[in-house]
Amino acid sequence: MNRYIIAIAIAVGFTACGRFGNKDEKQDQEERIVSVSKQHNEIIYALGAEKDIVAVDISSTYPPEIKELPTVGYHRALSLEGLLAAKPTMIIHDGPASIGPDHVVRQLEQLNIPVKEFATKGNTIDSTKLLIREMGAYFGKEQQADSLCNILDADMETALENAKKYPDTPKVLVIHYGQAMNVYLVVTKKNTAAKMIEWAGGTMAVDDPKAMKQLSAEVVAKSDPDVILLTDFGYDRLNGSQEKIKELPGVSSTKAFRNNRIYRVEEHDLIYLGPRTGKNVLELQKIIHADEPV
Amino acid sequence: MSRFNKRYTGIYPLLLVLLIGITLCSIRYGAVQISVKEMFSGLNHWFSSPASMSLNERIFMEIRFPRAVLCVLVGASLAVGGALMQSLFRNPIVEPGLVGTSSGAAFGASLYFVLGSIFNFSTGEWTLPLAACAGGILATFLVFILSESRQPGRNSVVALLLTGIAINALFISGVGFMSYMARDPQARSITFWTLGTLSGANWHSVMITGFTSVVCILLALRYTKHLNALMIGEEEAQFMGVRIKRLKLIVLLINLVMVAVATAFTGVISFIGLIVPHLLRIMAGSDNRYLVIGSALMGGILLSLADLIARLLLQPAELPIGIVTAVVGVPVFIILLRNRNYYF
Repeated sequence: MNRYIIAIAIAVGFTACGRFGNKDEKQDQEERIVSVSKQHNEIIYALGAEKDIVAVDISSTYPPEIKELPTVGYHRALSLEGLLAAKPTMIIHDGPASIGPDHVVRQLEQLNIPVKEFATKGNTIDSTKLLIREMGAYFGKEQQADSLCNILDADMETALENAKKYPDTPKVLVIHYGQAMNVYLVVTKKNTAAKMIEWAGGTMAVDDPKAMKQLSAEVVAKSDPDVILLTDFGYDRLNGSQEKIKELPGVSSTKAFRNNRIYRVEEHDLIYLGPRTGKNVLELQKIIHADEPV
Repeated sequence: MSRFNKRYTGIYPLLLVLLIGITLCSIRYGAVQISVKEMFSGLNHWFSSPASMSLNERIFMEIRFPRAVLCVLVGASLAVGGALMQSLFRNPIVEPGLVGTSSGAAFGASLYFVLGSIFNFSTGEWTLPLAACAGGILATFLVFILSESRQPGRNSVVALLLTGIAINALFISGVGFMSYMARDPQARSITFWTLGTLSGANWHSVMITGFTSVVCILLALRYTKHLNALMIGEEEAQFMGVRIKRLKLIVLLINLVMVAVATAFTGVISFIGLIVPHLLRIMAGSDNRYLVIGSALMGGILLSLADLIARLLLQPAELPIGIVTAVVGVPVFIILLRNRNYYF
């Protein structure tokens, strides 16, 4: 009997590691916001409104200090008691498609937990600025919101000007590791990342009705990209070694691989828009036009 | 007969005490700290003045309490289903999902996840359980119909077993196809659902599962003697006056109703139906009456324990319960099998 009690005890011990073990440092606060949207969280931190945030979802990774907050799990696989253990006075999310499972949403309604969804969806530069302003008004940080929007505008202007100077529009393949399904995915023209690449003066190599598509040798060979970007988790999983990246289906036959043009990008710099988008586009330009004279 | 039953008089109270103990634990512990005082006042307010309940009292009464009860009911349903099926097929590797019920339900659910977001039809509280239940029933009837043979004298139970395996494979590949078609959020929903979770419990699901499981278990108890006769052999049972075809149909229907309803609310939970009857046989033999009563109690114990671990291990996030039942259940099961001289 003792043997498996010990086994269970060891398993319990493991969970003390990682972000799940973060302590709540804001126990005495009255205003307690749990925000489960990575885009909103980045804006909240940029606005300097993070004081009331007591917990976030595990996919929120920017800015780095956000990782010190307790987490409530993944935003589409929340647990009701887990959420409520953070004693939220408000839960912020970015729409019914990104909060779940459904029954947890219903339970929140049933218990009358205040939930906030901002009306604006930041999926273009203009709507992102609107979202920043809306959130600025909500948190009483209108001035910061204005200055964030101005910086974003200025950066975007520089970036778009820059993009015109590059003679080529390299084909870019973005490979993203889908942690939910343990498969490598390619990001398509339907994704926010495609806009970023375009602004940076490149073009997305793969088109598909879905925003992401499973990585296969055919897809990669057909697109024959000039540059391959691997998002952080997938890149780190392969330790960034050329040998292992080569083994991904189709990758070894691409121009990008022959010319040694495979790079790591942070997922949170590419997959949604926010106050840093202009700067991220500038960074992307440096990467995808690395071999071109300006 | 009375001497025969005496072997179990010690086991039933033990299981009952364990069941009550573990249920109290699963009511007591969770990510949200709820004091015993709040529990009693919540229970009191629930009946006297539901409007004036505090948040913690409502979490207790509307989330945690129904979940603990649902755990016991679903555990009992799956374990009794497993006991019945193992006896009917006279085969130790059988579990309640064998005749296609759980893989059909999983297919129904994944169809709902994928098509639901394409056609955007209203997603009420009942759509998912109904889709799952319908899938489970459809798959099971397919197995029934396809395993019926016109040739007399063919071993119909073996045909059923093999047809079940084939149909299961078909529906599991259907689930695979659906998750291949699915976009990321849907695929996650499918994965989550096929590993089971009790976090959706509410009093409606408790009432429905409670009704079906109690009725089915009582009904199953009436047929335990026939199943005992069947253990000797199909022909021998027929000589003893058991109408095999009818018995088969009734036992399968009982199993179908219990498993389809339980699975509809919680997703696919593996291993409980397989392990519990074996544990009971190791403890005190294979009389089917004892197996059904014992499974009802022990299924509740094991599932509640697994749910408690699923809720507390990664606090504040939650593990799908299917992972816990497999990770904890399988080693325990293997240790027990190796330690005893165990015959089916």
